[in-house]
Amino acid sequence: MGAFAAVLRKDLRLEIRSGQSTIALFALSLLIMVVLVFALNPQPIDRARDAAAALWVALVFGGMLGATRSMIAENENGCMRALTLSPIDPAALYGAKLAAAFAFMAIVEIAAVGLITLFFNLDFGADLARLAPSLMFGTLGFAALATLLAAISSRTRAGDLLLPILAIPLFIPAIIAGVKASEAALSGFPLAAASQWLGILAAFDVLFITLGALLFEHVIRED
Amino acid sequence: MARPAVETRALIKTFGVVPVLRDINLQISEGRCALLTGGNGSGKSTLLRIIAGLSQPTSGDAIVFGASSRNLGVVRRRIGMLTHQSWLYPNLTARENLTFYAELYGMPHGDGLAEKWIAAVGLAAANDRVREFSRGMEQRLSIARAMMMAPDLLLLDEPFAALDPDAVAMVADLIRSAIARGCTALLTAHSQLDLGIEIDRYQIVNGRVVPFRDESRAPQRSRIGA
Repeated sequence: MGAFAAVLRKDLRLEIRSGQSTIALFALSLLIMVVLVFALNPQPIDRARDAAAALWVALVFGGMLGATRSMIAENENGCMRALTLSPIDPAALYGAKLAAAFAFMAIVEIAAVGLITLFFNLDFGADLARLAPSLMFGTLGFAALATLLAAISSRTRAGDLLLPILAIPLFIPAIIAGVKASEAALSGFPLAAASQWLGILAAFDVLFITLGALLFEHVIRED
Repeated sequence: MARPAVETRALIKTFGVVPVLRDINLQISEGRCALLTGGNGSGKSTLLRIIAGLSQPTSGDAIVFGASSRNLGVVRRRIGMLTHQSWLYPNLTARENLTFYAELYGMPHGDGLAEKWIAAVGLAAANDRVREFSRGMEQRLSIARAMMMAPDLLLLDEPFAALDPDAVAMVADLIRSAIARGCTALLTAHSQLDLGIEIDRYQIVNGRVVPFRDESRAPQRSRIGA
């Protein structure tokens, strides 16, 4: 637990100090919102659907950027080798990187929810609160997948290209479930109406976290 | 006779079809200091990485304190390593870097330990970020990082690179102190070194590790500290 906390604390400190990931994620979210709101020009009846779509586009692209930056920091000066040689359990190391990625993404998503409220003219209220489960499950699942895949892609020359090629096809079922659950929440339906979509998201979370914990050791090991 | 701290058995490493290390059978007893010399690209760093479990041999094995380097397990925490890369976070200060590694290894009083080792390697810039350090300052801090956990095995890849004469003497003194407390050390260098202690000398020739015997033809030794 001590090593897990040390890695998480270090990642948060690096991010707070540089702000690189958070600022880049926020700027990207803002760009996505602006482009989509003017491209779609949403009518009142379509607002919930379009806002949910914009939110998830921001989540996926922002998540990839955040996970990549977190791993680049580890590969700078070979720090990943130091972590590999240290006594930390690879699953705990994966957990710490995942927790850091989740925290960065969550901060940006709070800002993104504020932006969709503004750009899509949504009401502050219970509908936004109902977004929380789908966003939380979606963020956790995508952070879990992106952390694992970023560990692979950051060691390759074309890592920035490789991550979306690997991550997006694997995450498509979860994206569909997330968009549907978010649309239901923003349309004012009760949580129970989105329960099957939330169930799918939770199942993907379990799958990606388990895979990450099991495979991370092999991913960071060198030939 | 002391038990071997490090033992390689018919170890071979190839990159693609290019053989780098051929049939390495090396044994370093506990508490000994060994020096491995060789030219650029001779495989010194690769051998150290394999012993540390950071790279896998193509065939054969490296045994460290009785554990295969393919799965070192708890033996990992007994190894301190210095490589050409500093393993330091540029956006953390010297103190924060060492405190992080102390916490990672579960060392109590990480702050105090970091202070002690920053002083031991003569760094005045404890609160400066590593990205502002010169190569030599970074090397000093890397040496502190490698040695602060009081490892039983030190793997030091060219530990005197980029250091000024005062720092060279200081690092040599730290290595001698580590050996005196029973630590085993494997150092690499391009040429022979004299640390003022008994050293088992080896060299890599055409991918094979052989004892360094012909001292009359040795390159000029650098006498360090003592």
